[in-house]
Amino acid sequence: MFETRSLRSKIVLQIVLLILTIPYAIPLVQMFLGSLGGTGFLNYKAVWDTGVVPIYFRNSLIISSGVIVLVYIFSMTAGFGFAKLRIFGKEVFFWLILVALTLPEVILLSPLFVTFQKLHMFNTFWAVILPTAALQLPFTILLARNFNNGIPNQLIEAARIDGASVFSTFWYVILPLTRPIAASIIVLTLINSWNTYLLPLLFLQSPNMQTVTLLPQYFQGEFTNDQTKILAAAVLTAIPVIIVYLFMQKSFEKGMSAGALK
Amino acid sequence: MEKNNKSRSTTMNGLPWILPAFVFVAGLIYYSIFYTFKLSTLDWNGLDPIQTSVGMSNYGKAFSDWIFWKAIKNTVVFFLITFLIQNFLGFIFAAILHSNVKLATLHKCLIFIPTILAPATMAPVFRLLFSPQGMLQDLSDTLHLGITVDWLAQPNAALYILMIVTIWQFTGMSFILYYAAMSQIDKEMLEASHLEGAGLFRTLWSIVLPNCKSTTVSLAMLGIIGSLKTFDVPYLITTGGPNHATEFLGTYIFRQGIRQSHLGYAAAISVLLLILAICGAILINRMNKGDEK
Repeated sequence: MFETRSLRSKIVLQIVLLILTIPYAIPLVQMFLGSLGGTGFLNYKAVWDTGVVPIYFRNSLIISSGVIVLVYIFSMTAGFGFAKLRIFGKEVFFWLILVALTLPEVILLSPLFVTFQKLHMFNTFWAVILPTAALQLPFTILLARNFNNGIPNQLIEAARIDGASVFSTFWYVILPLTRPIAASIIVLTLINSWNTYLLPLLFLQSPNMQTVTLLPQYFQGEFTNDQTKILAAAVLTAIPVIIVYLFMQKSFEKGMSAGALK
Repeated sequence: MEKNNKSRSTTMNGLPWILPAFVFVAGLIYYSIFYTFKLSTLDWNGLDPIQTSVGMSNYGKAFSDWIFWKAIKNTVVFFLITFLIQNFLGFIFAAILHSNVKLATLHKCLIFIPTILAPATMAPVFRLLFSPQGMLQDLSDTLHLGITVDWLAQPNAALYILMIVTIWQFTGMSFILYYAAMSQIDKEMLEASHLEGAGLFRTLWSIVLPNCKSTTVSLAMLGIIGSLKTFDVPYLITTGGPNHATEFLGTYIFRQGIRQSHLGYAAAISVLLLILAICGAILINRMNKGDEK
């Protein structure tokens, strides 16, 4: 975009970029330096020795996996159905799902709170998995349908003429062709379910059921507001996410931006 | 339809393919929405066997509640400012990283990492950063600026701090989208503009920005919906305070419904929030279609 033929403009641009990027690094630096305050790396040991970090990670992993499985299966089948199959009243079904696209999760709080109490679903992973998946699906179904729309009908015709059932068409034609959007959907769902805070806060009360997003709160209680240990816990929570991102940069960037690109 | 034309049309009947997803999403979400409607006409704490029906008075209460209006005002101000700054920065980053710069990947990662970190993880960091014990205070002391960093405690400053946090978090999103949009722009058009003698900023403003219009509209949509949904950041960093200065609809619904067990009143605000969210979506959709023609 910018003119970078002269050495001077190259240097100026590089400096501008550096100055603009520094503020983005400050919170990360603060997080790391803050975690070393007081007893230095012993903060990490103290946090690790409580033994809760792996448990919280495991719980987040269970919840994210559950949400991803539900979202993946429902988005892939519904995306195919909405784009390629004959359905009576298809548009009505589609719009009813799409309306939920803008739904803030906080609206679900009171009804779910009352209902989960009645159904004894408090303190179960389902209480987080089900609403998280339901809130994610309108968006991912839209993505999957749009992607399926781009697959030529001739391919499906050809499969049918060869005698393939709808299911084998889906399994052998659609699933391989929709891999790119499936990857985006999985990454997007992973980030959103891993980072979800409100639903676990409300519905997972016992400490051995809670998720990584609730770790800071746990340590606030455990270490009576010792900032350094809370930050050490934050670093331990952030590092795996950053590592996964660094290994899968392209997928993450595609996943996060999938929705806004038409 | 009888069984006589079974061969083609029923094998291609797609209903079984969408029905599980539809029942799941619509079941959970519409059930909740209708339940919220019902709750909004009650005065109930969620546990008491006695539910008092109060008709529409919870809505009347919301309209005369200054905190409700404060939350609306915060949402609007929050959206406008974060939208402008975040997208301006994202746009500039995208333009710079489309030029030949060194260490582009490193910069890209630094800008993008905030979008994948949970606000819940970063909240303690920001509480420290914007407190007198944080790095900014150290910096101010080193430079002898004489500033006391306790902005989260100041009603006038706290909302702006939350905006900074949000801009920090989502610039990466704007950047990635603008970056992708800029790859689509015809290089010859930029070259022509350059030959015509148009300056750098002129080119960005008159050629690059209009070509990224659909991206900007998408980002506006995400921004409006995101602002209405705002919960984690204010709840975790300021808990809506001081004195409701950083109250949002989400935090207020949580405060009323969960903390104070006014389920009916919280439900009424939820319904109003839902209406706003749908209006926002329709509005942006209209704008988008109107421009495409």
